[in-house]
Amino acid sequence: MLYAVFVIGGVGFVAALVLGVAAVTFAVRPDPREVEILDLLPGANCGACGYAGCAAFAHALVEDPDTPMACTAVDADTVQRISLLLGREIEVAGPMVASVRCMGSRDRAGFRFSYLGPRDCRAAQLVAGGAKACVYGCLGLGTCEEVCPFDAIHVGVDGLPRVVVDRCTGCGTCVDACPRGIIRLVPRDSVVEIRCVSSDSPRVMKGTCDVGCIKCMLCVGVCPFDAIDVSSDGMPPVIDQGRCHGCSLCVDVCPRGVIDLYMVPRKVSIVEDRCIGCSICEQVCPFDAISGEPRRPYVVDLDRCRGCGLCVEKCPKDAIVRVGDA
Amino acid sequence: MSEGILVSSSPHIRSPEDIGWIMRQVIYALIPGAAVGVYFFGVPAFNVVWVSVVSCIVVEALIQRLMGRPITIRDGSAAVTGLLLAMNLPPGAPWWLVVIGALVAIGLGKQVYGGLGNNPFNPALTARVFLLISFPVEMTTWLVPRPLLVHSADAVTGATPLGAIKTAVFMHGSLASVGHVSIMDLFMGNVGGSLGEVSALALIVGGAYLIYRRIISWHIPVFYIGTVFVMTGIFWLINPGVYANPVFHVFSGGLMLGAFFMATDLVTSPVTVMGKVIFAIGCGVITVVIRLWGGYPEGVSFSILIMNAFVPLINRGTRPVVFGAAR
Amino acid sequence: MLSFRGGIHPPGMKDLVNGRAIESMPLVPLYRVLLQQHIGAPARPVVKAGDVVRKGQVLSEPQGFVSASVHAPTSGKVRGVEECIHPVTGLASPCVVIEADGEDTWVEGLPSELDPFSMEGSELVSMVRSSGIVGMGGATFPTHVKLSPPKDKPIDAFIINGVECEPYLAADHRLMLEEPLRVISGARVVMRILGLSDAVMAIEANKPDAVDVMRREVPGSIRVEVLGVKYPQGAEKQLIKAVLGREVPSGGLPMDVGALVHNAGTCAAIWDACSSGIPLIERVTSVTGSGIREPKNIRVRIGTPLRDVIEFCGGVEEDAVKVIFGGPMMGIAQYSMDVSVTKGTSGVLVLGSRDVDRSSYTSCISCGRCVDACPMGLLPNVLSKLGERSMWEEALSFNLMDCIECGSCAYVCPARRPIVHFIKHMKALSREASAKKRQAV
Repeated sequence: MLYAVFVIGGVGFVAALVLGVAAVTFAVRPDPREVEILDLLPGANCGACGYAGCAAFAHALVEDPDTPMACTAVDADTVQRISLLLGREIEVAGPMVASVRCMGSRDRAGFRFSYLGPRDCRAAQLVAGGAKACVYGCLGLGTCEEVCPFDAIHVGVDGLPRVVVDRCTGCGTCVDACPRGIIRLVPRDSVVEIRCVSSDSPRVMKGTCDVGCIKCMLCVGVCPFDAIDVSSDGMPPVIDQGRCHGCSLCVDVCPRGVIDLYMVPRKVSIVEDRCIGCSICEQVCPFDAISGEPRRPYVVDLDRCRGCGLCVEKCPKDAIVRVGDA
Repeated sequence: MSEGILVSSSPHIRSPEDIGWIMRQVIYALIPGAAVGVYFFGVPAFNVVWVSVVSCIVVEALIQRLMGRPITIRDGSAAVTGLLLAMNLPPGAPWWLVVIGALVAIGLGKQVYGGLGNNPFNPALTARVFLLISFPVEMTTWLVPRPLLVHSADAVTGATPLGAIKTAVFMHGSLASVGHVSIMDLFMGNVGGSLGEVSALALIVGGAYLIYRRIISWHIPVFYIGTVFVMTGIFWLINPGVYANPVFHVFSGGLMLGAFFMATDLVTSPVTVMGKVIFAIGCGVITVVIRLWGGYPEGVSFSILIMNAFVPLINRGTRPVVFGAAR
Repeated sequence: MLSFRGGIHPPGMKDLVNGRAIESMPLVPLYRVLLQQHIGAPARPVVKAGDVVRKGQVLSEPQGFVSASVHAPTSGKVRGVEECIHPVTGLASPCVVIEADGEDTWVEGLPSELDPFSMEGSELVSMVRSSGIVGMGGATFPTHVKLSPPKDKPIDAFIINGVECEPYLAADHRLMLEEPLRVISGARVVMRILGLSDAVMAIEANKPDAVDVMRREVPGSIRVEVLGVKYPQGAEKQLIKAVLGREVPSGGLPMDVGALVHNAGTCAAIWDACSSGIPLIERVTSVTGSGIREPKNIRVRIGTPLRDVIEFCGGVEEDAVKVIFGGPMMGIAQYSMDVSVTKGTSGVLVLGSRDVDRSSYTSCISCGRCVDACPMGLLPNVLSKLGERSMWEEALSFNLMDCIECGSCAYVCPARRPIVHFIKHMKALSREASAKKRQAV
């Protein structure tokens, strides 16, 4: 009995000694900033930043000054304090989501040959430049899906990836992985997108894709907000999401149907008892959708309203609301 | 040309020896061993074989269906596992034992890891050891061999040669009380034991076929059996009264089956020649240690499973020398 | 017999064409001469639409030292510098399109009478350079670069590569049989350039007739060495190892061990350039495989559209599913009949469906066959698993960059894994990453 007590006790003592010594000699001393940043982070370990947890993200921030502020759960004030700790500017951008700029699904865009090999777009691109007839179009092998840390992008049966907006954190991993540069990040509240990146001429496109942009520039001409930028290198025009008001005029005018709505624009209505009849809304509306007599409540013609929301911004009395808002 | 034309990376030709071909060759090579088992142990043995093969295939298909994976029973690997499992069971094993074995082999031994190629341990051996520990009585009830032609209705049970010497040494401290076992019987398979392990001759024939077909290399069987021979030989020379002679050790128990068919399992053995040698010697040493001093009479299954665990480490330590590397 | 470690023994399939004499392909109406037919900097076109060109006329000027010009394969009018499909990348690439006038008249001054054995080495190198000669085994590395070794890397061993280890192909074989003196004389020019007194001609044992012819024709300074039949015996590093017993260091070049290897076809082109000033405008190539009606060895002009080559060889069989430029082990699959023959097109292989495995790959079963087959001592099993997950950084520590992409591993793989494709994929990712890094600095 006594013997056993001594043996067990002895083993325990030796082990404790070893552990104690190890704790002192092999201690890892973290950067004190790392600890402070960790305190500022939400500590939920949600993984939305793309790291194994808040501690890993804090470590990355301290280690690499180029680490983007990928945490989506902190407020601007916290970001400011983290910036201060790191001694650098951290760009605070609104939440972004990935946007896939190709509509060449299986039934709309053909293939040049049948491909056999790894199911990875980057690898497929290496043999004869990829099987898709359009050399700009989505190969559909799902490398974006594979690399996405949030399971937020999936290749559908039509061979095109779709973004699950609620899960996408705008981390940009898929943007880097796509060998054809089809994916870009857009603000989460973006309404429309020109979903083609092909610089092929209409003649070439005839044999490759039914929906590809033919560079007719009708959308550029119709945009009341000058929000569609013409590309210089033969690429399709690109929507400047910062200026786009989501009126979707371009969607209607596109002969190829390659301008896509991410969300339906929400029309507006005027709350009668708040309206003072100042006529500002009538003046700013690009669609002549608001009319009325001065000093009497104005009315919105819902058939003409395209939901651009200019009037909402300009109304001095907050009397204009989006349809559907309380 | 159009979508009908096929484009892929080089090379554009492939050896005809795909997984299905390899598995078929393994089945051919196992047939002599299994046939001898059926010859000596009769109908019960035959039942064990078919129940095992069928249940392994069914279990594989079911699990793959359940997990939404492609069903790959056509590649023959489940059939090989089934046949190997049958050969590792006592010839009189009840049907439910065989089915449990199939569940463990395919389920726990293979599919949980992601299917063929991803399992660290040999599936058939995983099942054998699982059954041995869980159902020790059923797993050590050995039929006495009686050639098929003189088979009688009531089966008689007895001990395996290795079991006999383990008991003798344990009870009496010497081999003196053990009856004489003819090496010829061991060689032909006229002894008690697992269904497919009894005949060294049939297994050597099958193994030689696999080596001839270049499906396995000779390194693992030769070094495994060689290690057992040398090690048991040394102890036999030291004390022949307690330790059986090396020829007996080499031809008895599951060594031939293990050395030719289980330790050489492609998935769970090292990839380089050096690695295979190390692996085989490790198997040999552990087998002898268990046989001579362990609680179980036989150590082949344990030794291979233990060495399976070391395979990643062995692979890491035996990387081939790169062409043009500074040396 | 001399050989190397690893390698495989795929069926040779050479008897489809190795008994057929080289036929010269007649003129076709249109040639598409790609500007990038070599490894290195692209060449700049010096002709424009509407220009009248003569056979052998320079179409492009090399940009930089590691570059090569291309020449008009026949006389005619330049339709323009257009975008054509490149057989290696599968993407659009600039090419000079020539409408043949059918006269096939040489440019002024060609062919001329030259005596290379009275010329200086540097003069010969510039002849080779201006003739646009590149490695014709398929690698297309500009030959004049290999003939100009730096001072600190003297060449003391020259091997003429007549191995042709790719299954199916027999172009070099026929060339050695029918025109041994062009090959030998070209080799002697190379020896003169490098100041070597001897050389080795390496031929695989499956071409005993070529060995006999060469043994009869070679001068005493060239030794004919018969090598064991094993793929990839003709790969530069494996050839040097087998013949000289020297191992080109990892990441190094043959010149690091004082060795130089030139393909038999390249030697013949060197002879044409140095003895009569004729640039590289045609080559011998094997058109073969189960999918072609009349397998042939043809002498074909550079720039000939694939469509015409196939037509000349009787068209394709019903079940043809794959068209390959080069051999079955390292060749490049084509998807368009509009690609044209380049200087590196050692073969046009058309495979019928029965020769093509379309099954998809499964998990690695760790059988180790690829490890045994790898002539570079790599672990293709590990590389393929890493490639499946695009883990190129880890792959670098498994000597990713030492892979010569010979395809032995993928050939033997019972799980049908596209190991070479995985490796190419990781190499591309690694190159991309280092390019990005350079950009950032």
